[in-house]
Amino acid sequence: MANAIEVEQLRKEFKSYSSRSGLMGAFRDLFTRNYKIIRAVNDISFTVKQGEMVGYIGENGAGKSTTIKMLTGILTPTSGKIIVNGMNPHKEREKFVQTIGVVFGQRSQLWWDIAVQESFRLLKKVYRVSDQAYKEHMEHVIETLDIGPLLDKPVRKLSLGQRMRCELAAALIHNPPLLFLDEPTIGLDVLVKLKIRKFLKEINEKYNTTILLTTHDISDIEALCERVIMLDEGKIIYDGSLQELKTNWGEGKQIQFQFAQEVIQEELNILTADLKVQWQAGERVNVWTAYVLPTDVSDVIGRVVAKYEMKDININEISTEEIIRNIYEEGAVHG
Amino acid sequence: MFYVSVFFQYMSQYLKTKLQYRTDLLVEFFSDLMFQAVNLIFILVVFGHTQVLNGWTRDEIIFIYGFFLVPFAVFGAFFNIWDFNERYIVRGEMDRVLTRPVHSLFQIVLERMELESLLGAITGIIIMIYAGSRLDLVFHWYDIFIFILFVLGGTLVYAGIFISLATISFWSDARSSIMPMMYNIGNYGRYPIDIYNRVIRYILTWILPFAFVGVYPSAYFLGKKEWYGYAFLTPIMGLIFFTIAVFLWNAGVKRYRGAGN
Repeated sequence: MANAIEVEQLRKEFKSYSSRSGLMGAFRDLFTRNYKIIRAVNDISFTVKQGEMVGYIGENGAGKSTTIKMLTGILTPTSGKIIVNGMNPHKEREKFVQTIGVVFGQRSQLWWDIAVQESFRLLKKVYRVSDQAYKEHMEHVIETLDIGPLLDKPVRKLSLGQRMRCELAAALIHNPPLLFLDEPTIGLDVLVKLKIRKFLKEINEKYNTTILLTTHDISDIEALCERVIMLDEGKIIYDGSLQELKTNWGEGKQIQFQFAQEVIQEELNILTADLKVQWQAGERVNVWTAYVLPTDVSDVIGRVVAKYEMKDININEISTEEIIRNIYEEGAVHG
Repeated sequence: MFYVSVFFQYMSQYLKTKLQYRTDLLVEFFSDLMFQAVNLIFILVVFGHTQVLNGWTRDEIIFIYGFFLVPFAVFGAFFNIWDFNERYIVRGEMDRVLTRPVHSLFQIVLERMELESLLGAITGIIIMIYAGSRLDLVFHWYDIFIFILFVLGGTLVYAGIFISLATISFWSDARSSIMPMMYNIGNYGRYPIDIYNRVIRYILTWILPFAFVGVYPSAYFLGKKEWYGYAFLTPIMGLIFFTIAVFLWNAGVKRYRGAGN
């Protein structure tokens, strides 16, 4: 199957100037400015196949939005090659955007003052969708997203969750083969999130729609994406399956002990000295967490319980969120 | 053809929005009407004191003003993008515009449409009829087409200048006070051009050609033969300046940096 997105050595630089401090500094800025070239996206390459769902993650300022904006034709890249849906997004912008759908979670695509269905009608015109195609496709979308009752209300009267579902429907009016979602679930409650995820899965299966998704909510990625691309300071630091990331990084378990008495870290360390265990003080008093290899779990519990009085014990998988945090702290992916 | 149908779709949407707020619409209509009436009285009062200005009679000057109001009203209805920097660049609305398959400038023109501004054209025409009847001007059947052509030319001149100014936002994100200043300069175009000194005359003709929105085209209807050459340049100047503006716009869009979020 053809690639939906091909990116090669993509780079985007912004020129910004740093202002000097104080009044004198401001005067000096008037004449000479300290320009600094900031490389928001630094020579990244990747490809996405048609029908894939890819999670694009990174901290704030890692270059996610800049990449998305280049892929959607909003920004011109400084250098590098982008082919999306067989076109150069910025060069053939007006023809190209006909083949993509975009949802920016923090920005509305709909007209504020008019009813949702009027917005849809305008977009239908703008994207040149025939009445028949609109009817066939959108009836289903409206039903699945459960936005039928909202259609005659103006956008400004909708709640965030309601608006987001309408935004999603609006991005799909022309049934694009490629969908960009920039933080689509930001600020939404669990029920709406679930509904949106279910819907995205469905259109992916039904139309083989490619979806590129940025989010800070790792549970979105866990629910939807088999593949993640992780970005840090403009560079890709991981590109691969989520499962692999988990096995390489999160094979251990987390055991949380709540002791009935006070304990000292050294005692714990000595107790498990011959095993590969890492102890960490919890947020509450007398709570300690041990990071343990799966094979050592029973051993560690046995030793600790034999020596101390316990109030509570919990065994957890290391969460994806924690894995990702660890990766950011170390700055690269090993293994 | 596609662009025409998109235009009408937006326009019907615009009207629907306006009709939704009934009281608002009524108040707005009434205040617009009042504004135009005050405008009219003001002109008559001001020009009541001048009889002849460098060979132009009072009624001729009033006629020029009346003509000026028509392209200015059309400009105001469609190209009123003085807040472009604030709305589209700083707030990042440009992102949305750029993800739609219609030319970005065209979309913004449609979104910023303010049809009520067209009321000003009616005032303008009333003034022209008033001044014209006092001057005993003779109209031919083809003058109506020339009138439309000149109004379009003048509108394009105005639009070209203001769109070019708006594109500055693509290069520098600082807010500038150049727009209000330009509105003031625009007003110079509605007085007889030969009352100014040569430098200003040159600027108003070739650099910021506001004279093509008022004096020059009106000179044709006033039968001032010595200005006919300039009068017929109006549509050409309009096309040239508008083309330059669109060119600058397209170059600017390539430089668009987006707003961070």
